[in-house]
Amino acid sequence: MARPAVILVGADKGGVGKTTVARTLLDYFGAHHTPTRAFDTESPRGTLKRFHPEITEVVDVNEVADQMKIFDTLGSAPAKVTVIDVRAGLLSSTLQALNDIGFLESAKKGQITFAVFHILGPSIASLDEIAETSRFVGDANYYLVKNFINNTSFFEWDPTTYDSYFKEIKGAEEITIPKLNEMACEQVEVAGVPYVSFVANKSLKGEPANYSFVLRGYVRHWLGNVWSEFDRVKLIDLVAPKMDNSVRQAVG
Amino acid sequence: MSFRTSVSIVASPRPRVGKTLLARLLTDFHRQEGRAVAAYDLNSGDATLRQFLPAQTASAAVGDIRGQMALFDALVAPDDVTRVVDLGHDAFEAFFAVAEQIGFADEAHGRGIAPAILFMLTPDRTSVEAFRGLRRRFPAATLVPVHNEIFGPTQHGDRYSLSVSETVVRLPILAPALRKFVEAPPFSFADDVTPRPAGLSPDGQDELQRWLRKNYIEFRELDLRILLADLRSSITLGR
Repeated sequence: MARPAVILVGADKGGVGKTTVARTLLDYFGAHHTPTRAFDTESPRGTLKRFHPEITEVVDVNEVADQMKIFDTLGSAPAKVTVIDVRAGLLSSTLQALNDIGFLESAKKGQITFAVFHILGPSIASLDEIAETSRFVGDANYYLVKNFINNTSFFEWDPTTYDSYFKEIKGAEEITIPKLNEMACEQVEVAGVPYVSFVANKSLKGEPANYSFVLRGYVRHWLGNVWSEFDRVKLIDLVAPKMDNSVRQAVG
Repeated sequence: MSFRTSVSIVASPRPRVGKTLLARLLTDFHRQEGRAVAAYDLNSGDATLRQFLPAQTASAAVGDIRGQMALFDALVAPDDVTRVVDLGHDAFEAFFAVAEQIGFADEAHGRGIAPAILFMLTPDRTSVEAFRGLRRRFPAATLVPVHNEIFGPTQHGDRYSLSVSETVVRLPILAPALRKFVEAPPFSFADDVTPRPAGLSPDGQDELQRWLRKNYIEFRELDLRILLADLRSSITLGR
């Protein structure tokens, strides 16, 4: 039986584009025909649920009932990949909670594949977050994500300081999300559809839409670059090793 | 799948090579053929396409996203309108960068629109490299070399390493005495549209008409080439 995989997507600060990354992950797994379910910890109704309503549930990861909903069903759920969009500021405490319920232990024993996507913002304060979370990450697959989607400007960090934090975590990998034009971002938000649907010019119900060809082109180009990053770190091999690397039909 | 209509982009990285003249001729040619035509002017300055054909031409710009959307969304509109773009030399890089990134040529294909780039041949290195670049970046577009005979008889085909299918379209010279009439906006080549300019003799008018007919013969052949390109390429690629 396939080993379940859990991906935590978190940031210790709001507005760094954490949910954007979660959405690109859901689209990526969808394109690879990897059944995925998602939990959105933004209450009452998070952004992730808005864009991927069919596969997303809103939960409070610190409530025991919701913890059972997520973790007790890992082995039995038809979707073997679980993505959890952790509310801004809650990454460290969520990891602590996972530690307390023995989840990190199971991951360590190889019963579950566990990955953390830590989305970093451009300010210097972000670097301290890495030190915070690194205590719990242990042997998890850890991805430091620099999200440039909204920023043309450089990150404020000093490269040496960044490197020293980065090396704190064994086997950490870096992922870069490139910039996407503001108007394209905005139009996708307004359309309220997954990135792949926007590119395919489809509405939420799957009906033909009338999005700008130019904006669809920019989003397709951007999404292709993001997925190349996921390809580069062999994400599919990590979470769903028996799947063939299917054609990325939705993009390009 | 056959193409119903075309978008022709008149381009060169160099200024003053005859782009606007070609764009004007093409636009008027399509009108003569009874087609709905829309032209886009990406030039600044005097004697631009919009000044010659204000009713058919919209100003366009690719510097910001709004301009890009206004232009490219229009270029792929599935409305059976033939389109001509006069791409000013200083918008050359920006235009093709966007076109490549958003997959313009493939999108046009998908909507039954034949994308064509009409490239003005000049012997300088910049132009040769630009041409090669376009060939590589836009395999889905028909790349058409154009020789403006005002520059002399040599087509420089060897510098450009033109292939057999890349037949050069010729823009014949217009007698100097007639040029001044043609170069004063507004001026349309289409019959019965503009009254004969003062000072243009009946002989002059006849010569102008002959010159126009020479151009239109080239354009009819060009049109066929562009609209049949899909057929040719699907045969070669075995699609």
